[in-house]
Amino acid sequence: MKYLKELRTPLFVAAIAIATMTFHSCDKLLVFEPGEVILAEDAINTSEDLQRLLVSTYDVLGNLYDGRVQIVNDLRGDNLAEPDNNNDYKAVYNRETTFFTGINGGIYTDFYYAIYRSNVVLGSFNLVDELSSEERNRIAAEARFVRAVCHLGAVKMFAQPYGYTSDNSHLGIPLRLEATQEPLPRASVGDVYSAVIDDFIFAAENLPTMNGPYATSDAANAYLAHMHFLMQDWTSAVGYCDAVIGSGHYELDDDLNRFESGIVNVETVFGIQSYMNSENLEDASFVDFRCESLRDNYRSDNNPTPQLSLSSDYVDWWNGLGEGSGDQRGDWFTAGERNFCNRFNGLDVFNVPLIHLTGLLLIRAESYAELNINLASAIGDINAIRSRAGSTLLSENADATLVRDAARIEYRKETLCEGTWVEQLQRRGTMGENITIRGGSWDCPGMALQFSNTENTVAGFELNPEGGCL
Amino acid sequence: MKYIYSFLIAVFLISFTAQSQTLSGIVKDSDGNTLPSASVLADGETGTFCDFNGNYRIEGLSLGKHTIEFGFIGYIKKSVEIEIAIGMNTLNVRLKEDAVMINDVIVVGYGVQRKKEVTGSITKIDALKITSIQTPSFEAALQGQAAGVQVSQSSGAAGAGSLIRIRGIASISGSGDPLVVVDGIPITQEYFLNRRAGYGGGFNNNPLASINPNDIESVEILKDAAATGIYGSRGANGVILITTKRGTSKTSFEYSSRVGFSQAASRPNMMNTEEYLTIRQEAWENDGGTGYVWLPHMSTSTDSPASRREAYMRAMQTDTDWVDETTGTGMKNAHSFGARTGGDNWSMYSGFAYDENESYLLGNSYTRISGRMNLDLDLAPWAKLIFSGSMSQGRNQRVSMAWSGGLGRAMSQAMPYMPVRYENDTLVNGVSYQAGDFYQWNTNWNMVAEREMKKWRSTENRSFTNAQLILTPIENLHVKFNGGFDQMNVEEDIWEPEVYNNYLDQGNLYSNTILNWNLGATADYRVEIDDTQAISLLVGSEYQRSDNYSWDYYFPNASGPVYGSDSLQAILDTADKRVNLPTQHSFLSYFSRVNYALKDKYFFQATMRIDGSSRFGRNSRYGFFPAVSAGWVVSDENWFATEKISFLKVRSSIGRTGSANIPDYARFGTYSPTNNGITYAGDSILYPLQPANPNLKWESTRTIDGSVEIGLYEDRIAVEIGAYHKWSTDVLMNVSVPASTGFTNYWDNVGTVMNRGIELSIKSYNTTGRFQWTTELNVSKNYNEIIDIGEYTPDAISGGSNDSRVIVGSPIGSFFLVEHSHIDAETGLPVYIDLEGNETFEYSNDIRKYVGDGLPDFIGGMTNSFSCGNWDLTALVSFSMGAKIFDSSAKRQLGVVSDWNMRTELFDRWQQPGDEATFPILTLDETTYSLPSGFPWWNTSLFIYDASYLRLRNLTLGYNVPGGNDIRLAFNATNLFTLTNFPGLDPEVVRDFENAQDRNMSANVNYLTPPQERSFTFSITANF
Repeated sequence: MKYLKELRTPLFVAAIAIATMTFHSCDKLLVFEPGEVILAEDAINTSEDLQRLLVSTYDVLGNLYDGRVQIVNDLRGDNLAEPDNNNDYKAVYNRETTFFTGINGGIYTDFYYAIYRSNVVLGSFNLVDELSSEERNRIAAEARFVRAVCHLGAVKMFAQPYGYTSDNSHLGIPLRLEATQEPLPRASVGDVYSAVIDDFIFAAENLPTMNGPYATSDAANAYLAHMHFLMQDWTSAVGYCDAVIGSGHYELDDDLNRFESGIVNVETVFGIQSYMNSENLEDASFVDFRCESLRDNYRSDNNPTPQLSLSSDYVDWWNGLGEGSGDQRGDWFTAGERNFCNRFNGLDVFNVPLIHLTGLLLIRAESYAELNINLASAIGDINAIRSRAGSTLLSENADATLVRDAARIEYRKETLCEGTWVEQLQRRGTMGENITIRGGSWDCPGMALQFSNTENTVAGFELNPEGGCL
Repeated sequence: MKYIYSFLIAVFLISFTAQSQTLSGIVKDSDGNTLPSASVLADGETGTFCDFNGNYRIEGLSLGKHTIEFGFIGYIKKSVEIEIAIGMNTLNVRLKEDAVMINDVIVVGYGVQRKKEVTGSITKIDALKITSIQTPSFEAALQGQAAGVQVSQSSGAAGAGSLIRIRGIASISGSGDPLVVVDGIPITQEYFLNRRAGYGGGFNNNPLASINPNDIESVEILKDAAATGIYGSRGANGVILITTKRGTSKTSFEYSSRVGFSQAASRPNMMNTEEYLTIRQEAWENDGGTGYVWLPHMSTSTDSPASRREAYMRAMQTDTDWVDETTGTGMKNAHSFGARTGGDNWSMYSGFAYDENESYLLGNSYTRISGRMNLDLDLAPWAKLIFSGSMSQGRNQRVSMAWSGGLGRAMSQAMPYMPVRYENDTLVNGVSYQAGDFYQWNTNWNMVAEREMKKWRSTENRSFTNAQLILTPIENLHVKFNGGFDQMNVEEDIWEPEVYNNYLDQGNLYSNTILNWNLGATADYRVEIDDTQAISLLVGSEYQRSDNYSWDYYFPNASGPVYGSDSLQAILDTADKRVNLPTQHSFLSYFSRVNYALKDKYFFQATMRIDGSSRFGRNSRYGFFPAVSAGWVVSDENWFATEKISFLKVRSSIGRTGSANIPDYARFGTYSPTNNGITYAGDSILYPLQPANPNLKWESTRTIDGSVEIGLYEDRIAVEIGAYHKWSTDVLMNVSVPASTGFTNYWDNVGTVMNRGIELSIKSYNTTGRFQWTTELNVSKNYNEIIDIGEYTPDAISGGSNDSRVIVGSPIGSFFLVEHSHIDAETGLPVYIDLEGNETFEYSNDIRKYVGDGLPDFIGGMTNSFSCGNWDLTALVSFSMGAKIFDSSAKRQLGVVSDWNMRTELFDRWQQPGDEATFPILTLDETTYSLPSGFPWWNTSLFIYDASYLRLRNLTLGYNVPGGNDIRLAFNATNLFTLTNFPGLDPEVVRDFENAQDRNMSANVNYLTPPQERSFTFSITANF
């Protein structure tokens, strides 16, 4: 076996050589890519991809505004009674949310999912070849629209309102205008509003007039109208309202039900769609419910103990107005030991309008009242709404104060359970009115919900002060 | 005539000298026991073996001096010079047990070494220690057996796993469990398979449960870089090497049978109806309520006083002990049979076992059937084939537990005033129930109903197959090719009838299959350079790949579970199912090891390993893991002559190991698949899933360690003292990122963690002779500290829904809560301590701080073995000192009165000014304790307790039946009693976790976790 001994060295050399060669050629044994999902760098290639990413931002809006955001906003106001047993809702109702409370963290996170996706769309045009400049503008306008809706929705919930300080330098929310991963501190409310207005203006100029269930230029103008109203810029609010109302695309609905199944209500300027692949729920094989939070928390016809009910403050106010039995909107609630909201009774799937003609008419009327101009037009709009409801009309000689008060009354009645009343209370608070909500001032710390715990994971972010409202 | 006589005498003498002399005798050990089959070698040439009674006989010896050498495995060889006389000679010897086992072989990575030569830190545990204790899964038997190895059994549930930490914990988000290698295959260790489909039911699956303890020959625990370095890529948290039994040329059989029963080691002290109503009424009145308090599921807060009174009276009539309804006595029986046999060039071990293990949780059991065959075959003088194969099936009859139901619900939301069944026909909320129907609250929450109506079985089919071809082309050169395959299939089979879920009869099947291949080749060569020097060199390469497939099946309107129905099995192909592509990962490694021995007392070793992992990107794929170690057997030095010290060895090592335990695709930025099925307004969508981190790389740990081994009084006492320092950098963390970035989590190499500690183990033969007493003690202390987490705050990493956080300067697994001080005697309100140390009544998340951690300061175990004649008694005491436990469910059981039942400790509550009490004024309103409204989770240090304990873990009384047969009877009790100040259920707890990060961060958190079981078993073992 002597010769084998001499092979010793060559054997070792061979072993090392083989090892080295395999080192290079076997590197591909270490490459596995996820099977089902798409790698980020391969995800966006065509305009369809961009469109689908854009639709995903609406998907998030649909998850936010199926009632979640509306309910949380109403709980901060004075229309609702204490929730039955949902601890998160109770925390919001008492204005004692912390970063452990699930619902505020969840809503906050969802807003920014949509904002991130919009930013990715805006940054991905160079990845897609065959886009016409119209398409590109439309897609960019829609992305900026959604981004603006979300920044606006978040800043109204997680910060003190516009006007809380005279220069609006009070802290708002992180302003995300690019799809980056760096943590950002909170921008001021003033800066957030400016950025949102820029986005809506671009959207109004570049969105089409008709766009299926998606954003239109009317929608952008309508949001601008609401924003300027909150900012107490009455003239601009009137201007934007005129653009939408004067377009002729919308008319006051005949009946009082704005939550329709299968069709989009004629008043809806922008809303969330619950999709069915057939006209009737019974025949549909696929239903995409985007109304569940409203439906499951308020309905009392199929549930003796719904989670939410109306406050005695609301019912007493309603009854005390004296328009009494004529106003059919009285059917929207049933007074009792607990006052149930009936607006969603009998409805399983329905679309949720976020901005509608009635609201714009009332905003415009109140703006006229604040400016003390065009009162006749304001009274006409208010009475159109009142006659539809069957309540006592406003006198033609009403002065600005009466018009303003009437507009506010109609607004509080018409937007029951729609989640847009508390922002009006806050606006009036910034205007100097003595507004308290269940014993707490309109600007007590807890009115601004606490941020998601994840904002606290990088040092330097300033969380909201908590509580102080009870 | 004279010459004739001389001649005759000469002939006579010559004939005698030419005639053979015999030498015979008995070989015994130092206690006087015979050593069957001991070897006897005369002059290095003529040899024989003793018979079964230790008798030997050598014939054919010439007169004069001879050297006779006696040997037996585990005993020190003895050489005797003897003068052989005419005729029959007798020589009886006694051999001394080799206490330090310096000639024993230890399994190290990719080979064996003599214990004397080992320069790494390795502890060997004999198989008998594993099979002598009744545990749901074999690794729990490692508790208290090795210094520096902390083993915590999770709970008393059937098939429950254990949490093993070797020298502390160095990982935060990557798995911190040690690597388990069975016969050379790093096996699949997935603890969260059943969470994938959301079907944990409060229980993590245990990947080690299907290993049959009776198949194990030895377990080696590798602790430092020199030992684990050869497994570089995944050795950062230690390695557990399991070697299974192999055949011998002599045929032998082993049989064992065990029967027994178990109960809960401790019982929760929940209130009964009268107690609970009293407490609740007091809380109601404290809050200003009048009349009878409203009761969850019976009345509401807005009911009229008359309704509340009626409900209260109705409630008083029922008193259900839900703990009794969900617990009982579990029966156990296990049988195993093993055979070893062989021939000239082959040997085989085969074993079969059946193990049925009911836990004290009613309806819960784990049954394992397993079979193994290990074959060694000499194909040629220079080629050997080694084959090991096993198959097992573990079947777990599942019940819900912890937060999901079962006993956990008995400790939480099951109220004592709710009956198990309706006594009379009743109408509730418009639904009519008949007498005997199950009482329902919140639809399907009745635990007895769930146990009887829901069918739930989890089946794991596991096989380990390994083949190795060893070629020896020239002497001392071995070339080995090996291939291993670990196949794991877990199926959760769940069926619910319509009457249970109020919806419809439905079956769900969740299936997970993981295929794990391991291929490798090594070459090792040993050269004796001269008399005093020897070098051995090992080079090798290994490739491992793992594919994880999952399927889910849904059967609406099924009449029973899939496992009970052939027709459903047939339908599986056409059922409504969702098939996923596998997730895959692989490792590719190149390694080498050099050992140099000088004068058989100086030993050096260097290892180097390069590992590539598919989990990392191209630029950071490979990690480089070297280790160097040395050992010096001082007692072999010529100048070393101390009577008392018979053996002295010092060794030390320094090296680097790594870890890559992150999800397979963590580094990729990904978007949803094309057909994700989600639409808005009928249009399909595309959305991002996770952010990319192409720079993810290996987590790496640098370990320095050293130890001294001493044998005293001729190895009657063996002591080992060691110390280590582990510095882990680039620790992988799945940080929570600000939500405003559009994502919630991000994988990054961020942290730095340090572990350092000392270990002591002592084995002492206190008495020998007729009454023997041996003590084995091991104690270790580990100090763990998080050094750095970049710019992140403690809230960036959290242990799931547990309140543990990463805090720089504190250990992994620190509890981050508001500090509770005392109950104010005047008002009965709780007093907290803020960050400046001032007392306050205000609760706020801003004043949370470090209030303790779940890592122990000292752990260890002591085994005392006594034997006298045929009887023996062994007691294993394991202990842990300095750890805290966070009784997370106590927040509700002892806090604000709510819809949970409460514990009787709450009786010590404040009732009037001047009271000194443990618990505050009772209330139904969380804001009384200054908690935010809607948040009854009282996260304070009131529920942090000292979890130090000393537990009589195992007590075994055995009897060796006299006579020729090797039969042993034993009686064994596990978890007999525990000394602890912890008022809750059990200071040893490992709750169910959500993911690997939770598992690292939330040690010692109890959330409705079932307590450990106390079991008594009787066993018979026979070898023949």
